[in-house]
Amino acid sequence: MRAGKILLYAAAVVLAALPVVPVILLFFLAFSEHPIYVEGFTLKNFEFLKTGVLFSDHPLYSRLYPNVYTVMVNTFLLALGNMLLVVLVSSMAAYVISRYSFKGRSALLGAFLVIHGVPASVLLIALYYMLKATGLLNTLLGVVLVKMSVDLPLGVWVLKGFYDGIPWDTEIAALVDGASRVGAFFRIMLPLVSPGLFAVGLFSFLSGWGEYIFVYTFIQSSTNWTFSLLIQSLFSEMGGINLALVAALSIVYLIPVLAIFITGEKYLLRVTIGGVKG
Amino acid sequence: MKLSREASKKVLVLVMLLPAAATITLFLAFPAALTVLISLTELDYRFQWIWCGVGNYAKLFNSPVLQFIVKATAIYVAGTLAFNTLMGLVIALVSTRVHEGLGTFIRAIWLLPRVLPSVVWALLMMWIFSPLEHGFLNSLIVKAGGKPIPWTFLYHWPFLFIVNGFIGSSLSGIVFSSAIKSIPQDYIIAARVDGASSFTIVRKIILPMIKWHIAFFVAYNTLSLIASFEYILLTLNGGPGFYSTEVMILHAYHLAFGQYMVAMDFGYAATIVTILLVIGLVLSIAYWRVFRLRRLMIEPKLE
Repeated sequence: MRAGKILLYAAAVVLAALPVVPVILLFFLAFSEHPIYVEGFTLKNFEFLKTGVLFSDHPLYSRLYPNVYTVMVNTFLLALGNMLLVVLVSSMAAYVISRYSFKGRSALLGAFLVIHGVPASVLLIALYYMLKATGLLNTLLGVVLVKMSVDLPLGVWVLKGFYDGIPWDTEIAALVDGASRVGAFFRIMLPLVSPGLFAVGLFSFLSGWGEYIFVYTFIQSSTNWTFSLLIQSLFSEMGGINLALVAALSIVYLIPVLAIFITGEKYLLRVTIGGVKG
Repeated sequence: MKLSREASKKVLVLVMLLPAAATITLFLAFPAALTVLISLTELDYRFQWIWCGVGNYAKLFNSPVLQFIVKATAIYVAGTLAFNTLMGLVIALVSTRVHEGLGTFIRAIWLLPRVLPSVVWALLMMWIFSPLEHGFLNSLIVKAGGKPIPWTFLYHWPFLFIVNGFIGSSLSGIVFSSAIKSIPQDYIIAARVDGASSFTIVRKIILPMIKWHIAFFVAYNTLSLIASFEYILLTLNGGPGFYSTEVMILHAYHLAFGQYMVAMDFGYAATIVTILLVIGLVLSIAYWRVFRLRRLMIEPKLE
């Protein structure tokens, strides 16, 4: 019994360490003095933060890559746009789906469920054609629109769960006190589901911040690059030459992700569970 | 003028639902239909609609590559699924038996690979398992006096199972944990009083009681794995060698967008995608029936 308990806790510690170890290694690499091995400690890999120019001492290399700050702004715009649109659209739709009975409700919910199950990668070809036809190819706006439609079904399901959890009595009390349905929605319901809005917001921000496939497929000019494109491009071209720089750039890329993960982990968990339940 | 109750309800439903319905229709339903149409054409870089009937399908079924991509897809889905399910079970069994704080921590920390940008996770895995001498594992081996091991060449499938499995296991771990926690403690205590070992309790009580959750996860995960390729694209990209890890959806991607946009064989690529869409639709409908998902859609009683 005693030995079993020790074994169990040893397994638990290994299990807890497994997903973190690679991230810790990334930190060591980013502060490494050697360009491709983990060795010593230096801040020189982060020098690009001063001007945003990569390989500033190497004119040939530095011309190949866009300014890091431009890339950062692009990534932020994609994440923010995705977050705002998903929260706005899904908070309205989920309320109506949770509270009203109307024609096509089941069909709509079913569609959300099916769409969420199948990865959006199957739509890339058609979406490419549509974006090209509308002139949105190679623009951040095009990517934001596609991204938010892909994240929307999950947002609606999660928020529907939050609205379902608010008792009718609360809303009826507001109506009895003279509020209109719209007034009750804005003043009573929205504040009550704010943890849900927060959860969906964090999730869609991270989802936009980390997006790769849509950006890689729909964006060509490097002025519209996001972090994911820059890092993937650097890693495949410079990975053998200056891996520590790629790691340093990845750390900068990860700062908001880790901040949100550590502070908002319990909210993100709600989205994952919501995503499974429906 | 005051609108009638019924009319004002209609307006409200319409206004609040319109953005979501329009987005879904425009960016998800319409492209799905468009994909099927494109698969019946020879659409390429010139963007001209040249109808060719089922010509692309005939071409695909006679293609010598077909057997490779179907086999790769089967291995990829089965292997990743097995990894996700088993790792999820381990996470769930361990995290529900240890001290509660530690258990919650384990489940939370497994979300980390999922929230990391895919590019960063892929580059980390590529660096750790790099076949080159400066790869992390190999640098340790060389330091210890050994010879570097070409990990991604020798073990490309296990490598991909690990890369993808660390993403998927968080989900299965959370689902299975909450299922295990809902098992009444009496059953387990009673079994223990009767002298059952931990192994027997897991096998005879816990696993049978969460079998529907496992089935649901397997079903759901199959659906998402069948058309997922992001981490393969970011790591081995179909290699090493000839189509060894080129799954169907990745092949479609390469046909349409591969090699610096010179491919652009949209019509033919859409053929593969359409087949996957049909498989996905059939599976969804089957799951709908099996798991009685309709009960998730109970209409609201009041309004």
